[in-house]
Amino acid sequence: MVTRWVSVAVSIGAVLLAVFVTAMLFWAIGRDPIEAYAVIVHVFVDPGLLGESMARGVPIVLATLGLIVAFRMNFWNIGAEGQIYLGMFAATGVVLWGAASHMLPPALMMPTMVVTAFSVGGIWGLIPAFLRAKLQVNEVLTTLMMNYIAMLFVDYLVYGPWKDPHGHGFPLTIPFPDYALIPLIPGTTITSGVIACVVVAILVYYVLSRTKLGYEIRVVGESASAARYAGISYMQVALLGMLISAGLAGLGGLSIVSGIIGRLRPRASPGYGYTAIIVAFLSELNPWIAVPAGLIFGGLVTAGEALQAALRIPFSGIQVFQALIFLFVITGEFLKRYSLEVSWGRR
Amino acid sequence: MDTSPSKKLVEMRDIVKSFPGVLANDHVNFTLYRGEIHALLGENGAGKTTLMNILYGLYRPDEGKILVRGKPVKIGSPADALHLGIGMVHQHFKLIPPHTVVENVILGLKSPRFKLDVGRAAHEISDLASRYGWKINPFARIWQLSAGEKQMVEILKVLYHGADILILDEPTSVLTPQETRGLFESLKKMREEGKGIVFITHKLEEVFAVGNRVTVMRKGRVVATMSMEKATREELARLMVGRPVLFRLEKESVEPGRPVLQLEDVHALGEKGVPALRGITLIVREREVLGIAGVTGNGQLELAEVATGLRKVTHGRVVVDGVDVTNKGPRAFIEKGIAYIPAERQREGLVIGMNVAENLVLRYYRYEPFSRRAVINWRMVDENAEKLVRKFEIVTPNVRETTRHLSGGNQQKVVVARELGGRPGGKTPRLVVAMYPTRGLDVGATEYVRKTLLRYREMGSAIFLVSEDLEEIFQLSDRIAVIFEGQIMGVVRPSETSYEEVGLMMAGAKRLEEIPA
Repeated sequence: MVTRWVSVAVSIGAVLLAVFVTAMLFWAIGRDPIEAYAVIVHVFVDPGLLGESMARGVPIVLATLGLIVAFRMNFWNIGAEGQIYLGMFAATGVVLWGAASHMLPPALMMPTMVVTAFSVGGIWGLIPAFLRAKLQVNEVLTTLMMNYIAMLFVDYLVYGPWKDPHGHGFPLTIPFPDYALIPLIPGTTITSGVIACVVVAILVYYVLSRTKLGYEIRVVGESASAARYAGISYMQVALLGMLISAGLAGLGGLSIVSGIIGRLRPRASPGYGYTAIIVAFLSELNPWIAVPAGLIFGGLVTAGEALQAALRIPFSGIQVFQALIFLFVITGEFLKRYSLEVSWGRR
Repeated sequence: MDTSPSKKLVEMRDIVKSFPGVLANDHVNFTLYRGEIHALLGENGAGKTTLMNILYGLYRPDEGKILVRGKPVKIGSPADALHLGIGMVHQHFKLIPPHTVVENVILGLKSPRFKLDVGRAAHEISDLASRYGWKINPFARIWQLSAGEKQMVEILKVLYHGADILILDEPTSVLTPQETRGLFESLKKMREEGKGIVFITHKLEEVFAVGNRVTVMRKGRVVATMSMEKATREELARLMVGRPVLFRLEKESVEPGRPVLQLEDVHALGEKGVPALRGITLIVREREVLGIAGVTGNGQLELAEVATGLRKVTHGRVVVDGVDVTNKGPRAFIEKGIAYIPAERQREGLVIGMNVAENLVLRYYRYEPFSRRAVINWRMVDENAEKLVRKFEIVTPNVRETTRHLSGGNQQKVVVARELGGRPGGKTPRLVVAMYPTRGLDVGATEYVRKTLLRYREMGSAIFLVSEDLEEIFQLSDRIAVIFEGQIMGVVRPSETSYEEVGLMMAGAKRLEEIPA
């Protein structure tokens, strides 16, 4: 058996290996790796940059918490990115409608955005769940392909009907009014989205461990045939689970337009939904670990931007770093499972 | 039999093999001579298969020596083993279903020729088969073959690769009594040709039917090796289990009551969408065990799933306690008090990654007192688990232990405890559908499961027992229904029939005209 400590050690080892290989890459393109890592560390200590890091961490955390629900039921939702775009679309739609019609009191703006972003993101996630439950369509393909649909749909809106008429032709919507933005925690540089993350983590933990739905999600995830035997409807669990999973990613989308950019623009998410997959695995599908892990990865996104500015390292540099972490972690997962196999052959 | 040293085919000396937490082989000595069928007897988990997997190169021993034909050898892989003339037929077939017999047999052959001469190989395979009194079409596809024929192909494969040391791991578990007898005849012919055969089994009758010598293993050690002339049934059973075994099960005679489950002309499809049940009519009553005998794969799984509401019927009616529940879904059946002990406890009957308490409510978590509205009441779940663990003597450190870490026998006890004693409100089940309930269990756990089923029969439950073990069917059943290709070939009483008759019906060679209800 693999103990918890070995498991954690393998994960940490994977991250260190990624740090090392990325350093080699920085060195290979003629940058000083020590200087580069100094920039990365700086992101986490400078109060201003820390605030930005947290803001970027929020969508990652929310999407990760959603993915944890899906992955726990063994549903390979690769579509958090698309679900994020749908959430951004929904939140922005509410703002634009509210600004144009003046029918929404400012106090109701944020609650309406939250409900809409969750619902629209969630409904987007129901499509692959339904296809899987009804026709056994592989969800990896559907969720992945639907990301492109979602992203290009948002492109269409901001290049077309939603373009700010006073924006000098740039593909941007109007800036959000203040009451449609996520406020900072008073007296800090940190977004109150972080508090939302903690609240959502508590809810996800509660649903998974205390409710019938959570029990059903875990049974479905562990063994589909045991779920059938228990009289659990796969359709029902898959739909509800994905509504939650994709809905949380949709909230992640809201936190991008209202917490980072303040408006909608093309490619508003630099792959937060994919980063969330990495974070979900790194946190071993544990909602408590997902919050700090997601915020750290938000810092890495900020670090990527800082590296671009300070050392002219392309943003893909930091993506390579993230990808390496993931690569080494899944390799580590394989190693963990390999040692499990050994104790298997007892007869 | 000649046991001079020159006739030694295999000698395994002081073999030690441990897996994390278990010593599977503890200084085991084993010798196989030319021209003998050596039975390797022991309960599940005694280390028989481990020992033979070492000889076949699947595992490496931690300590010990292996000599083949007097020469010390290192066997690093099955390829090495085959090279030394050692072949093994596993309990679960390792054939490729869409390929033909000949393609399967020549797979892995190190032929010097670049081009495969399939025609010649087919010819050679037919010749080889006829030598042992078998008939097989070398161009038949594996999926078209019966279990008995598949096994024949497995053995042919080993022989064709030139093995003269054969290891058969529980070869009769998928065979009808007639097929078993045929297999034994062929094995005896191979013995006469001077081959050495290791026959792994936990069935005593088989040891007496084919063995020359027997080695008994218990808990990783060899407890005795003797020639069959000196062995008695009681002695071997005692050696195998470590205590005297009662061969008779006390069974009170009780009068069956009202019908609980009625199947009327039921048709249903199997996994691949082909008809698996073709017009089944059966009744199970209170205080009655109806045994379903048949060769695995003749519709038993589908029948059990129809009886528990897990599989839809395409035609016919399913009635429970007078209420039509046809295609009402598994929850309706659970609520009617239908318990189900499925064949695959690790995959279906349990969620082995979840803990014992969680598993003990797997089919009842949605009812009070285990949950209210959307929320599970873990205190009640734990209390229920404590109670069942005590009542059904489940050995576990605590109820929060992951079920994966329990032994096979205790895992099965978890399933049995939940299905028989786990209904909310402590109600006894109306019907217990038990599929292979003792498969893979040791003698002690087997005895326990059988006794428990009979106890619930006396308490008023109807028992629907599907088993591949004829002895079990005969011991437990009040009536036996024999299934063949999705049809009932006849319903008989164990006291008025024989293994012979049931065997013929299992093979589809006999059908009783009138089916007594």
